[in-house]
Amino acid sequence: MTITRRELLEGLGLASAYAFAFGCGPPPKPARRAPEEFSGEVRAWLRDAVAAIHGAGLTGHALAVSRTHTVAAQDVLGAGVNHERADGVVLVARDAHGRREQITSDLTREGVAAAARALAGKATPARIEFGPPAPPAAVPKPDPAQLADSALLDSVAAIAKRDGGLSSRIVYASGLLEVDDAMVWSIAEHRDLEQRLYRVRRRITRIAWNGTRPILSEVSRAWSGGIHDQTFGDDELAYARDTALALMTPGAFADGDHALVLAPDVVAGIIDAATRVLWTARAARRPEIAARFAPDKLIGSAAVTLVDDPTVPNAYGGYRFDDAGELATAVPLIDHGKLVGRIARGRRPGHTGVLEPMPSHMRFAPGSSESALALDAGYLLEGHRNVLVDPASDRVVVAVQRALEVQRGQRTGRAYADIELVGDLTTLLGSITDATRATRVIGLRDDRDGLPRWRSIEAPWLRARGLVRARRSQA
Amino acid sequence: MIDRRSLVRALGREELADWVVIEREQELAVVEEVHRSELRTRWQLTVHADTPAGRGTAHVMVDADEGDADKVVEQAAVLARLSVGPAWATIPPSAPARVDLADPTLATGEPLAAAATIARLIPRRPGAAIDVRVTLLREHVTVQARQSFHTEWSATLARVDALVTQGAHAIAVAREARRADQLELVAGVDEAIADLRRLAAAGAVVPGPCAVILTADALLHGGLGVWEAFVTQADPVVARQGLTRYHERAPIAAGADAVAEPLSITSDGALPFGVRSSPLGDEGDAVRKFPLITRGIAAGLALTPREAALRQRDPNGGVRNLIVDAGTWDEKSTPDKTRVIEIRRLRGLEIDPYTGDADLELALSIDRATGAPFAGGTLRLDLIDVLARAKRSARTIRRGPYVGPAAVLIERADLI
Repeated sequence: MTITRRELLEGLGLASAYAFAFGCGPPPKPARRAPEEFSGEVRAWLRDAVAAIHGAGLTGHALAVSRTHTVAAQDVLGAGVNHERADGVVLVARDAHGRREQITSDLTREGVAAAARALAGKATPARIEFGPPAPPAAVPKPDPAQLADSALLDSVAAIAKRDGGLSSRIVYASGLLEVDDAMVWSIAEHRDLEQRLYRVRRRITRIAWNGTRPILSEVSRAWSGGIHDQTFGDDELAYARDTALALMTPGAFADGDHALVLAPDVVAGIIDAATRVLWTARAARRPEIAARFAPDKLIGSAAVTLVDDPTVPNAYGGYRFDDAGELATAVPLIDHGKLVGRIARGRRPGHTGVLEPMPSHMRFAPGSSESALALDAGYLLEGHRNVLVDPASDRVVVAVQRALEVQRGQRTGRAYADIELVGDLTTLLGSITDATRATRVIGLRDDRDGLPRWRSIEAPWLRARGLVRARRSQA
Repeated sequence: MIDRRSLVRALGREELADWVVIEREQELAVVEEVHRSELRTRWQLTVHADTPAGRGTAHVMVDADEGDADKVVEQAAVLARLSVGPAWATIPPSAPARVDLADPTLATGEPLAAAATIARLIPRRPGAAIDVRVTLLREHVTVQARQSFHTEWSATLARVDALVTQGAHAIAVAREARRADQLELVAGVDEAIADLRRLAAAGAVVPGPCAVILTADALLHGGLGVWEAFVTQADPVVARQGLTRYHERAPIAAGADAVAEPLSITSDGALPFGVRSSPLGDEGDAVRKFPLITRGIAAGLALTPREAALRQRDPNGGVRNLIVDAGTWDEKSTPDKTRVIEIRRLRGLEIDPYTGDADLELALSIDRATGAPFAGGTLRLDLIDVLARAKRSARTIRRGPYVGPAAVLIERADLI
């Protein structure tokens, strides 16, 4: 069995063979004005648009974004940088009959004015008080506008250089630095806001063959701020390497009910899927969800406390205001096992997509356990692959890359690939007995209709119990 | 702002072996609680660069507000030269497929009004609440290629996402079609309401061996449903590396050509108003109808211009709408002395792209012997093997990118 590098890259989501290149030199970066240079102009266009909408007897809100997405990557064959850019404007008009939105990718005076005309016709603009102008958004350091592609590549290469222990059994190694830089303006009556969201993700990947199956190991970090604010520790580099090289135990996995430790990436996968499918205002329209997850209902053990908090400094999924123009606040979702809130605030994929309730930065409260492996006998599940949460029932299927056997607080060395945890979500949450003091932050970036969505989850290692089984043949 | 002329001029200045520019002028309307209207232009640029080491290709998506055509083309050319593979020569272009893609009733007038008209097609039923989102895409596509051909067409595409609620349960219904009258919303909603009644009375799953009937909503879960297993098997890159489950001109599973009604599947990208139909593919290649499986034998692959050239064949535009030959099975007849489970809806379907192994998480099923509905359960199936042998219904349906039997009967499965 062989896998080409292109397939591997596509499969891992590291890069698209269509949009990304590795090789002898990065393509030129398109010339572009820094967002802060034209912020005043954009806010003036948006104010004009809101005034025109109010002039037509409607209530208006204008949201605009100018964003870039830059990926620098290095793998076994070379390095490269890819740039994408997108602008967008969303004008919202409301009255007693409902809400209308006009969207354009033309972030110019003419483009914004044309979108406003589509909503308001040729109404005479109303006099609107917008309040004090927003203070200029802080520019991250180093200033992204001054960052050359070579600086990004150097940053990736520096991490690769530190990982001196790569074995010849590692058939693929890569490092990636991904930067989303979004300038967002939100203008409405008595509200003139702007923010610069500078999101950074670093990821290293190691792959080694184990029999006929590739074993993939990844570590990642995600934050908001400058590209040099965080890097990998030596322990993280060693973890990525050693996990890829670990030999899987031959033979069948003993399916059954086991004591478990869920690694933070697995916890993050479960929390992210459950929040989006079950604990939003939109999800609550389903009667099954409204009944199962009624306010104040006990849905987990006392060890489960979860807050959606976009105000956490430097959080990858954080922000100052959401895409409906509301200032960020923390929303408790689960308090010691009791459901106390839902995600209701509006976020738009890419800041211009359809408004939907979305989590921002979720914090699973840490516990008191000092050891991640405080287990008499059971398995440590790590390497999140996929989570299915069924909105119509309590069913959850959590696919993980590895189950590592643990006895008396120590790993036995037995490791099984391609395992799934199945059962009811509330039973799983109810089985959580403890969480570690230490946590990890996982940044998630996926897309909807081609527009990116950003969020992050801070999670500890959790002690739980559940039915674990091999997904398919262990051959 | 970029326009086609500036892109073509910039392409002419680069030393490229071939290129194709596709411009999509799109109007998008969404009707739900909010009425949303969007105008956008999207560009797809494919360039091929020949070097002494071979030919490289780059596919670039470009936003109209990207400032400089020269820079975009330069970047695409660099990408192409950095991704060099084996040399191949462009095959002279064939005529685009003749196919109607625009519903006249959706193609004119205000897009939001047309979307609202579709929303009114949703039937109102006593005791049921229906939340609807209608998305209507209208686009005018213009294709220009270095080999001096120029073609254009218009298309409409409507998508309806409805959440049908009755009592304590809800079922999501999704339909996609290029014509409003092909959405079949009334049938979709009524079937959902019937299943909601069954869900209200559903018991617990009883594991064990059984025969399984996959009905339309389970069969086509998420779009092509279980038939997706055959799409990845037609990937020419995977096939060239020997990673597909079966090979061209060989049975797709042992004995698949010897069953009473061997399986035949065709990709038809020229199906009138097919949701995946198109005159040309994304690389300017003419879309063609071609067989994937003929009477149990693997018969064809999805061929891009590159893969076609490397095989000295004609490109076909890739796998598009799937046409599965109907069988003669009467859906009311079932095997004797075997427990028969009729699967109505799935919670989840995961297919291994290489092996065709699949996990089916069952949402709603009916025990045919007792007529009792139940919720839950899991099936693990080797989809290639079981679909090669499955009995296919004589009744056919057309839904989204699928035309074929409305149900299949799998005679041996293990419900867990």
